[in-house]
Amino acid sequence: MEVTLLLESTDNAFRVMERAREHAVGLLDTAVQFTAEQTRFRQEKRGQLLFTGTQKRKTQFQNIVGTTIILLAFWMLLSGKFDAFHLTLGVICCALTAYLFHDLLFANVRVGDMRVIAARFIAYIPWLIEQIILANIHVASLVLRRKMPIDPQIVKFKTKLETDISCVTLANSITLTPGTITMDIKDGVFYVHALSQKVANELNAGDMEDRVAHIFMEADHLYVEDVLDAARIYQTLRT
Amino acid sequence: MIQESDDVIVKAVARLLVPFIVVYALYVVMHGHYSPGGGFQGGVILAASFVLLGVSHGLEKTRRRMSEKAARVVSSIGVLLYGGIGALCLILGGNYLDYAKLGKILRVTPAEARSLGILGVEIGVALAVMAVMCTVFFAIFTAEESPEDYRSVE
Repeated sequence: MEVTLLLESTDNAFRVMERAREHAVGLLDTAVQFTAEQTRFRQEKRGQLLFTGTQKRKTQFQNIVGTTIILLAFWMLLSGKFDAFHLTLGVICCALTAYLFHDLLFANVRVGDMRVIAARFIAYIPWLIEQIILANIHVASLVLRRKMPIDPQIVKFKTKLETDISCVTLANSITLTPGTITMDIKDGVFYVHALSQKVANELNAGDMEDRVAHIFMEADHLYVEDVLDAARIYQTLRT
Repeated sequence: MIQESDDVIVKAVARLLVPFIVVYALYVVMHGHYSPGGGFQGGVILAASFVLLGVSHGLEKTRRRMSEKAARVVSSIGVLLYGGIGALCLILGGNYLDYAKLGKILRVTPAEARSLGILGVEIGVALAVMAVMCTVFFAIFTAEESPEDYRSVE
């Protein structure tokens, strides 16, 4: 009698433990699923924000702080005095300027990370210097030859650059290299004066434009947008 | 009336340069008693930044930062600062603009009081010069569109 009672009670206990385990496993499963969904959702959202170029607009406060830091670096470069009095003056002046002009420095930042853009811009400078040296040699050889075989012409090409700052970088790069001068930009069309056919051909090849687009992450943006479109089409086909 | 420039290069470069020009002007003002420069030069550079903004981005956007009314008020504040510091020295028993007497109020040595006094006067000069230059700029570039304003003044 007692043995059967004991057996029954152990059975019951086992059953209760079994049910508890099942519950726990179920709970853990849902938790895992939930976190996975959450992370996937967040990743998707971040990816979309990053890829489609509709990055969240920076707030006014962030703009002011960013402008202040940049201007403060400029102030210290000018001032060279690091005592408390002059630093305080500098902070006040820079904060005041940033408050008044916070919408100028970061006006058309459309897509991408500032740090990436800065790193790519620094990597672009050596290439630009190399191009300037090569163009210098070319123009010197043209001018020093007895016949002076120049062929002045105006090259007109439509640019794929979108923001004003990338257009300005390209225009100034073109003007910096000897033999070419940017005359005007009208509605995304560059009017460039070129000294010889070779220089004009190099311009039309568009190597410099591609590099500038790469700096300001415009090439990436276009490429990624294509990939996103393909993914959407694939999804509709599958369902 | 100046319209907004339609040149992308001019607009973008001006927009990037203006904050740095303003900080440079403030540097010239604030270090006027240590190095070349001072109130007048700094004020002119400050005004130049507004002129650059006006030429590149049009007068409307410039007016949002510095209107004619604000320029008038700021120029008065500048003159008041200059005159006020001078008069304060008179009240404290010195000559006009005798900064050493300011040490009594600021609780610093007379040498430091001179340095701070000159700084205050230079800020006043810079404000006045900047505002007056802006007023001249606005007056020249809006003269043809609103001649009746000038008649009413007469």
